[in-house]
Amino acid sequence: MNEEIDESEFYHQDFTTASEWEVFMARIEEIINQWRVDDKRNDSVTDVESIWDIKTEKLNFAEEQFYLYLYSKRINEDAALDDKGPKNPIDTLHDFELYDENHIEYHSCLSTWYGLDKFIVLSPVSNNGIVNESKIKVLLSSIYVVEGNLVTSENSIPLFVQIREKWQRLYLGVFASDVIRTNFEMVHLKKGLPYCNYLSGLLDLFKTKIASPCVLENIIVSAQLTYTLTEFGGFVWKQDLLQQNYDIESLFLLPFGVTVDPISSIILKATWNHLPDNLVLDSENYTDFDPTAAMNWSLLINSTNNPVCLMADAMTEFLQNLTNTSTIYDILGDFATLPSSENNPLDLLTEPAVPAISRLLTRTARQSLTRNKRSNPPLSETMLVPMLYFLFPDADEKSSFPYGREEREHTESLSQAQFKNLDEEFKGFKTCSSDSLIWRLSIILSHCLQSLGGLRAFAHVWYEFVQEMRYRWEKSMPIPGLSPGLPDLRTCLLNQKLQMLNCCIDRKIARENALVNFDSAENSSTDDEEFFDCSEKIVEEKAKEKLSLWNQPVGRLSKFGNLKLIKTGDPLYIPVTQEPVLKTEDQLEEDTDVLLQLGSNAEAMELRARIMSASLLSDMESFKAANPGSAIEDFIRWYSPRDWIEDEDKLDEWGQKAGHLSPRMLIEDNIWSEMWLSAKPVPAHRQKRLFDDTREAEKVLQFLDLRSVSQICELVIPVLSHAAIYRLMEECESLASDLAEFPAKLSNLIRKGEVLTRESKPQPRRFEGLIHEASALEMLVSQMNSLHYKLNPSRSANGEINDVVVALAMGKEVRVENKSKSDIGNRIVSMFGEAQRMSSLMAGEQFDEAGRGTVNNAFPVPTAKEFVLRTNAVKPAVYSAKCPQFMRAILSKEEFRLCGAWSEDTVFF
Amino acid sequence: MPGDHAFDLKKRRSHRLISWVEIPLGYFSDSMAGADPKWQKDAADQNFDYMFKLLIIGNSSVGKTSFLFRYADDSFTSAFVSTVGIDFKVKTVFRHDKRVKLQIWDTAGQERYRTITTAYYRGAMGFILMYDITNEESFNSVQDWVTQIKTYSWDNAQVILVGNKCDMEDERVISFERGKQLAEQLGVEFYETSAKENINVKAVFERLVDIICDKMSDSLDTDPTLMSSGAKGQRLTDAPQGPQAANCNC
Repeated sequence: MNEEIDESEFYHQDFTTASEWEVFMARIEEIINQWRVDDKRNDSVTDVESIWDIKTEKLNFAEEQFYLYLYSKRINEDAALDDKGPKNPIDTLHDFELYDENHIEYHSCLSTWYGLDKFIVLSPVSNNGIVNESKIKVLLSSIYVVEGNLVTSENSIPLFVQIREKWQRLYLGVFASDVIRTNFEMVHLKKGLPYCNYLSGLLDLFKTKIASPCVLENIIVSAQLTYTLTEFGGFVWKQDLLQQNYDIESLFLLPFGVTVDPISSIILKATWNHLPDNLVLDSENYTDFDPTAAMNWSLLINSTNNPVCLMADAMTEFLQNLTNTSTIYDILGDFATLPSSENNPLDLLTEPAVPAISRLLTRTARQSLTRNKRSNPPLSETMLVPMLYFLFPDADEKSSFPYGREEREHTESLSQAQFKNLDEEFKGFKTCSSDSLIWRLSIILSHCLQSLGGLRAFAHVWYEFVQEMRYRWEKSMPIPGLSPGLPDLRTCLLNQKLQMLNCCIDRKIARENALVNFDSAENSSTDDEEFFDCSEKIVEEKAKEKLSLWNQPVGRLSKFGNLKLIKTGDPLYIPVTQEPVLKTEDQLEEDTDVLLQLGSNAEAMELRARIMSASLLSDMESFKAANPGSAIEDFIRWYSPRDWIEDEDKLDEWGQKAGHLSPRMLIEDNIWSEMWLSAKPVPAHRQKRLFDDTREAEKVLQFLDLRSVSQICELVIPVLSHAAIYRLMEECESLASDLAEFPAKLSNLIRKGEVLTRESKPQPRRFEGLIHEASALEMLVSQMNSLHYKLNPSRSANGEINDVVVALAMGKEVRVENKSKSDIGNRIVSMFGEAQRMSSLMAGEQFDEAGRGTVNNAFPVPTAKEFVLRTNAVKPAVYSAKCPQFMRAILSKEEFRLCGAWSEDTVFF
Repeated sequence: MPGDHAFDLKKRRSHRLISWVEIPLGYFSDSMAGADPKWQKDAADQNFDYMFKLLIIGNSSVGKTSFLFRYADDSFTSAFVSTVGIDFKVKTVFRHDKRVKLQIWDTAGQERYRTITTAYYRGAMGFILMYDITNEESFNSVQDWVTQIKTYSWDNAQVILVGNKCDMEDERVISFERGKQLAEQLGVEFYETSAKENINVKAVFERLVDIICDKMSDSLDTDPTLMSSGAKGQRLTDAPQGPQAANCNC
């Protein structure tokens, strides 16, 4: 039994099942039909960035995965109107299209070669490609079958299969309409046959391949010769060019630009369109294709691959050092001494008078004596001193970099800029104002890190900076280049710290002055004495009347309106109070933490009130000292007037409106009345200081001193980002041509920078993103600068050149109007000529020949040639219709490619 | 606050790391990153999805403290001790299925406290600017307060104008229309409230939270990077830089 069944199973063949191959073809048809349906529905999502509309499906066949792509070009509406019914897709006038890197997709080369607006490509997923001959044949058959099955009277789409190695970009394809079939064939060789290197040979090839039984019509020839200019001679552009005479002042700007010419080559394409084949001759010995006589010229640039962008590079250095936890002292080693005020290397520098050269010299001498001889300072005196003068211009009377100078210049130079007010743009940045001390410090530090000796130089500058801060605190000299006032929480932490230090210095000065005044008042001249006697007499008289000696009023600031003390009727004086307590944001955070930790119950509330009441107590004590005999009502009337409720139409004994405290001030044991009771009459200057400037200043100095490299980077990165974006903006503004994209790109950059600067710690990832974008823009700006330098050396205002530069920088090919007669064309010709002369000189060729060459033709041998041949031929039989034939030959050093499209009549043959 | 274990732990840990260097670093790394869910649950403080810092500002004795107590504790006393410096209350609300912890800071209105209170403006996502409808002066000061907000807070902080004590119709000197008009002029929303009668108190806070949420989702739409960096339940001190970086992605 079993055997029987097995046998029948074994011999059974089901002819109704489709083979895998058939399934594969059916699947392709299915996908294409689905696309057609979708197309009719016309609801494709438009991806604005590309001119290509691409649809993809994945499918399998014989253990190989394939993608099926539909490429369709978004065509302008007016072009679509030209459509006069079905037409063979290669029956166009397409020759050469202007290259635009933004329009390039993986398979869009098919469109470039054949002028197709819509096509389908079958391409293997793996990178190995389809190399096996028989596999290629199967695939080719498949697409033939599919194309044949899908023939419709309208909108047939050419179908291609990619074969061989993928990088070869080799395709075979077919197009079938109801009357004509076109086969797309391609040849790709490393090197072409010598006889195919010229038009004459290619024409022969073309005719042979068509093999029409009738005499051929005229063949229409188009040609394009490509010339590459890589030697710019005197017009090599790079950033260093501007700094040829090395100048210390170049350190005062952020590095910017690229170290090599951002343009690696300029490509000139000379084009001839649609010439009859019998009018042109191009062979090994003679050619009619002289670029100066070409119909059209177009330009294209190649940009240098990954050049070092100086500014982005400097920023990257900071990024990398974000993980470096070593301290300044680790890095400087023996060289740096821990803070000591006696041996301050900046003594001379920071003396108010201009230091004489001789003193600077002795200072150097002293250094070499006192310092450890084994370790040289990372930065030499000649470098360091100008940098410090740049940071602290007030040390130099004749400084050419005083703070506040930039502002004026900018308002003038940027008045017509796109960004009307740069400061307005950067309003959201949590950094510091432009060209302030920290701004300059960030620039100096970035130079140090990048080019002046790396980390050691960086550490050295920071060390000297901190030493200077300490020195200024000790000598009570205000720090320059900081916006005045209390620590501004809208600025970065480093700026707040320095502002804090400055406030401390101010208060220290004020204290010292007060002491001096007091002394001078004691032994002052007669004028003062008279005045003092006078005022004292009045006070004394009053004192005799009402007050005992110990509570004489002290610390009065001014009278408070006409108010009089309720009990005594004396005028109510506003006391001199302690200066407000200053906090930087990190200290505020600590405070907030403390407050939050207390929790939110009633006791915690009271505790918080007590913590906060120190200044209230101080104010009350000052008030009591200034207003002997005052009551809490008097204090409240000054301090919290809303808690004094005036009784209507009732005057007290001193003729002022009577009133009473608000209910909340009358609550028993409330903190206000408690405080009032405990407050003693002590004037502000004799109270315990609420804000101990000495301690706070020391805290700031410690903070600065103990920063590790990573912490310094964290402090500086926000400012550096700000300065970098600012620099980019300036560079964009100073460009001769405007780029429509600049404002958008810059705004985007500003937004990113804003987020970065507001983080409590700059996130490396975010900073990296910023650097990336900034460097792209830096590169673009450099390219445009380079192009301007090359194409418009006279820097004349020329709108045409500007437009060309913009387009070239954006990676577009640009047509040169009027060819060599235009300004640009003229420049190109002379640059080619110069390069030719140079190369022939270098090669040491016979002068005669080279000289003749330059006279006749400034151009070198073309680096690439491209020909398009097309005709209509009767094929395959004598009575067949005329069918379009097409061949493109691309001849360059790298490859030899023939792209053919051969059509034949499928109805009459 | 019970939840501030995070603070404690962090401090203690770093201390221990310094003293006992031989403890493997990985030992702490888990809970350091806040990845230990058990530990997070223990801390009541961490029991929220987002945290908003709000500030109530306005002249002295317009009813800021009463307003806050009405909202946070649903209580009212005719006289609270005048706030000294700054104080806060916490309330957690549900908004769009998310627990939003509101940290509401109550400020002293007296002129002398300006320096102290304005220091807390940074990092506040919303402001309740309050005046007293029975007090002309407090209404006239609104413009000053707005200037203060503009000067000291991030530009994306949200503001609601509130006219308090609307139960005291007899003593009213600022009409609803005047308040409304001023709010329109300033481009902010407006409510008249009464902490005493519990009118609109909850509505003001809810509206403010909604506005902040809307604003936040806007900025998230335009900047997807904010979304990815969203660490949950960030503490106030971690986010002093305002809503943009505060990961309040609702």
